[in-house]
Amino acid sequence: MAGRLLVLLRACTTTTTTTTTLRLRSNAVVRPLVRAMATAKGIPTDEEQATGLERRALQALKHGKDPYSMLKPKEYAGTKEEPHIVPCIGTKRLVGCLCEEDNTAIVWFWLHEGDAQRCPSCGSHYKLVHHELPH
Amino acid sequence: MAHQAHAYHMVDPSPWPLTGAIAALLMTSGLAVWFHFHSTTLMILGTILLLLTMFQWWRDVVREGTFQGHHTPPVQKGLRYGMILFITSEVFFFLGFFWAFYHSSLAPTPELGGCWPPTGITTLDPFEVPLLNTAVLLASGVTVTWAHHSIMEGERKQAIQSLALTIALGFYFTFLQAMEYYEAPFTIADGVYGSTFFVATGFHGLHVIIGSMFLAVCLLRQIHFHFTSEHHFGFEAAAWYWHFVDVVWLFLYISIYWWGS
Repeated sequence: MAGRLLVLLRACTTTTTTTTTLRLRSNAVVRPLVRAMATAKGIPTDEEQATGLERRALQALKHGKDPYSMLKPKEYAGTKEEPHIVPCIGTKRLVGCLCEEDNTAIVWFWLHEGDAQRCPSCGSHYKLVHHELPH
Repeated sequence: MAHQAHAYHMVDPSPWPLTGAIAALLMTSGLAVWFHFHSTTLMILGTILLLLTMFQWWRDVVREGTFQGHHTPPVQKGLRYGMILFITSEVFFFLGFFWAFYHSSLAPTPELGGCWPPTGITTLDPFEVPLLNTAVLLASGVTVTWAHHSIMEGERKQAIQSLALTIALGFYFTFLQAMEYYEAPFTIADGVYGSTFFVATGFHGLHVIIGSMFLAVCLLRQIHFHFTSEHHFGFEAAAWYWHFVDVVWLFLYISIYWWGS
């Protein structure tokens, strides 16, 4: 981004009228760059230009993953066959089980990697699944 | 290097909230100094500090969002809520002035002659420059929508042209309104008519200038490739603000210029 800005500035200050392309506009240097855009009409897309955390988050979503927990967690039955899947970047994570709708007391417990654990109050199954943060 | 596992933006420490608060202090106390001691130095100093604060703070927001990628979808959502809440607060600000206008004009006191417009006030013809102003702002609403669609469809040239046209229309409105102010047969000191007219339209004009500045910054950013076809919230915020300014004018026109004449 800064590089492009420098190119523009340099083009503005050192523009000469010796070539036909430069005669059209003082920022004619921009035009070849513009053609390089995905839309070919001059405005970049997120795919081309998103950077940092935004890029990592969008790329992960494109592959069906949600490492930054932007979406609502998936719902599971909580049975032995279909336990609640709890993603984790370490080896353990705190789980708060709202055993029944409208309960005011949340049951908190550490969920460790390995076999699925059950809520001490209602018995729903929870399984820790490790995932890495995108870099 | 440990990365955060959430999508939110924990902002780095910044001096601009402090400089902004100091600017507010200097501007307000400077106003009092101006009233009592006839010196504008403190107030001007405060205003310069305010302008520097705004420039540097918002420059930092652009750096964080566009260049560093901190504006993930949840962060953008928060910014949207923020802009909506801010515009809502501005709506209430103008509601107060409309309240003052209707309070004074629906039951005109004997001092005014028991009528509205008050005795001795020559109102502006609503079908002359005010109607042109209405057309100018409505047209600018169309051009800013054109600019938005151009950005979403990746059309760089059209986006720049329509955004520049929007700003030009904004300046044209301001110019016409300034001419009207100069030529008006009444002043702010002409009773409650003058007060309500110039305070309401004056604050509106200030918001037109602010909106034009916001759009101008968007134009500069668009020229420098900051916006993508999916992510361009700075522009959307400016467009929302501009539509708000347009709607306020429509209420002003109907209430003060037309019904009130």
